[in-house]
Amino acid sequence: MVTNVLLTGVGGQGIITASTVLSQACRIAGWEVKKSEVHGMSQRGGSVNSYVRFSADGPVASPLIPEGAADIMLAFEPLEGLRQIGECTPDARVLVEERRIVPVTVNLPEFSYPDNVLERLQASGRRVTVIPAMATAVDLGESRAANTVMLGALATLLELPESAWDEALRAVLRPKAVEVNLQAFERGHEMMAEA
Amino acid sequence: MADTARDLSRTLLLSGNEAIARGAWEAGVRFGSGYPGTPSSEILPALKELGHAYVEWSVNEKVALEAAAGASIAGARCLVTMKHVGLNVAADPLFTLSYTGVAGGLVIISADDPSMHSSQNEQDNRNYARAAKVPMLEPADSQEARDLTMRAFALSEQFDVPVIVRPVTRICHSDGLVEVGERVEVELRAELQPNTRKYVMIPAWARERRVAMAERTAELVALAEATDLNREEMGDRSLGIIASGVAWQYAREAFPEASFLKLGLVWPLPPERIRRFAAQVERLFVVEELDPFLTEQILAMGVAVEAVDERFGLGELTPGRVRAMISGEPAPRAAADEDLPPRPPTLCAGCPHRGVFDALRTIKAYVTGDIGCYTLGTLPPLQALHTCLCMGAGVSQAHGMQKVRGHEAPVVAVIGDSTFTHSGITALVNIAYNAGVSTVVILDNRTTAMTGGQVHPGVGETLSGMPGRELDFEALARAIGIDDVCVVDPYDMAATEQALRAAMASPEPSVVIARRECALMVPAHGPAPALEEDLCIRCGKCIRIGCPALSAFDDGGRRPIPRIDEALCTGCTMCAQVCPVSALKLPTEAEGGGDA
Repeated sequence: MVTNVLLTGVGGQGIITASTVLSQACRIAGWEVKKSEVHGMSQRGGSVNSYVRFSADGPVASPLIPEGAADIMLAFEPLEGLRQIGECTPDARVLVEERRIVPVTVNLPEFSYPDNVLERLQASGRRVTVIPAMATAVDLGESRAANTVMLGALATLLELPESAWDEALRAVLRPKAVEVNLQAFERGHEMMAEA
Repeated sequence: MADTARDLSRTLLLSGNEAIARGAWEAGVRFGSGYPGTPSSEILPALKELGHAYVEWSVNEKVALEAAAGASIAGARCLVTMKHVGLNVAADPLFTLSYTGVAGGLVIISADDPSMHSSQNEQDNRNYARAAKVPMLEPADSQEARDLTMRAFALSEQFDVPVIVRPVTRICHSDGLVEVGERVEVELRAELQPNTRKYVMIPAWARERRVAMAERTAELVALAEATDLNREEMGDRSLGIIASGVAWQYAREAFPEASFLKLGLVWPLPPERIRRFAAQVERLFVVEELDPFLTEQILAMGVAVEAVDERFGLGELTPGRVRAMISGEPAPRAAADEDLPPRPPTLCAGCPHRGVFDALRTIKAYVTGDIGCYTLGTLPPLQALHTCLCMGAGVSQAHGMQKVRGHEAPVVAVIGDSTFTHSGITALVNIAYNAGVSTVVILDNRTTAMTGGQVHPGVGETLSGMPGRELDFEALARAIGIDDVCVVDPYDMAATEQALRAAMASPEPSVVIARRECALMVPAHGPAPALEEDLCIRCGKCIRIGCPALSAFDDGGRRPIPRIDEALCTGCTMCAQVCPVSALKLPTEAEGGGDA
């Protein structure tokens, strides 16, 4: 059976790094995995989506998650989570970072950042958990580890062995960044246990 | 190929681009050239990391392919990489290279971009294979990207022909598991001895090669009929699907029970196999992205393929679109929350292009541009770029406009530094030679920014890490015959506007070089300015430079007040420069010391 994880947010938030860690953890566990995203113009501060699809027992065909079939969404920014909520199954799990990043378009008269984004996510019927990932990472002294807090939270929803996550983080991150990211991962993990 | 059991100890997670580099490396490639272009840009750097092969960023795709043609005649296996529109630039050598053929295997990667994620058009480069009569392979995942690249080298040498491998964005920028092998060294294939009837395409010898090409195509059709590059996967025979590449992945996701004729070789096609497959299934569809390339050829074989709505030829496919295409059900559309503010790509905080575009907006110039980060200058609030056709076109367009509208027309061309070396130089020669009057701004941010920061001749470094001769833009412009050349720092907004006004006022052609490193390539210049709220008159001028570090915040006052995101701000000071009341204080000013 294929599991579909959609990671969404804003260019520069480490979404592609996070999806690479997840994909490497799947490879290390001996699972089949595909991941897809776009680079280039879309990355200049624009919305970024990364699709990771994996299976412990069979092939994965399409690199794109079929429409409306995301089982889990990791939203690194609330507005981007709301933008993608239609890509999730009706009973999907949604993990959403609470910190907003305001798009430049709100400086134009026709747009504003809605003030009820989290409420609308909740009202969609999916099971939503708010993760203070950036605040946690800042607390650890490394704001760039926010994406790993999100992964730590995600790990509680998957059956990947802890050793696969550990090895994947070590494989993908710069050696100097590993220690703080392992802590960030642990904090994300704990947050879900408490939630 | 794709789903067989793997040896986990030799299995890597690779993007399609990394897998292409890996395949070329294992196949003993000795020469790699190309020009950056999304989604192809990561292939050559990955090949460089693997080692053994000479690699270079050439100045453009035509030069890259010609250099590879030389290396091939000299006996080496060669890889040339580009995006789909890059093959337009390289089309001239491609068509005749099909006549001359190769010595060392020559593989061209044409990375297509259905849906135009990062492109100005979504042309279907399968048409080039047919037009130039060169075989084309289409990988369906990272494993095939490696495998088919290796096969392409063998085919190139076996059939004396360049071979195109066509991945699309969803192959290039998707990661998958790849079982890899080791590099096999391939010696230079031939002595470098003249073989003029093969490599000098004067009409008499080209006519001979034309005949040889026809024979070669017949042999390639015979290969297509027999090869395991194409394969039949018979399932439920009530539905048969012919597909290749990522479209095959979407089709088998949508219809896992169907029967498939999966093509790895998309030109030339195997008519007998297609007829045989068609005879075994009740309904027959072709699932392909963009042009009806396979469909029209299969229909021409007299095989009845069911028609699909033409709108499926626009943009990339998805599993849901393929389901809709075949079932006739409505295409899925995610319920859009239409009140959400869009988040388009934007010029970065601290982007030096902002200084130029702000000045051009103030001057009310008609700005001809082209492809690069600076194309984003067309978006609100700057809206200071008014054409984007192809690389180099803005320089020529400005010339054309002023030939019919005169020097008085407030036309300015802008072009990035890498793009200028790619295809702006000849356009500038044309202005000087034909007594043009245009002002050309070279946006010199010392990198190829949009594609991820590749080096180019103006930087003086090469892909291989060796120092390169730095192209001197000022001296080049003067040598071309442009006497009015100046250099400005686009962070100095007053000086930039003044330089542009002076250049436009001059009846001579002029070049303004706006030189400042890309904000992504250098550390922040300083801390963020601090807003003195009492001084701020809420005029919105700072907001209108379109910096993502600045947002208009409704604090209940009569108009919104600017807020600075200190995490994004690079300390470029442009917002402080446009403030009419000096309410945005630079750190030195705020502390009451130093000059700004």
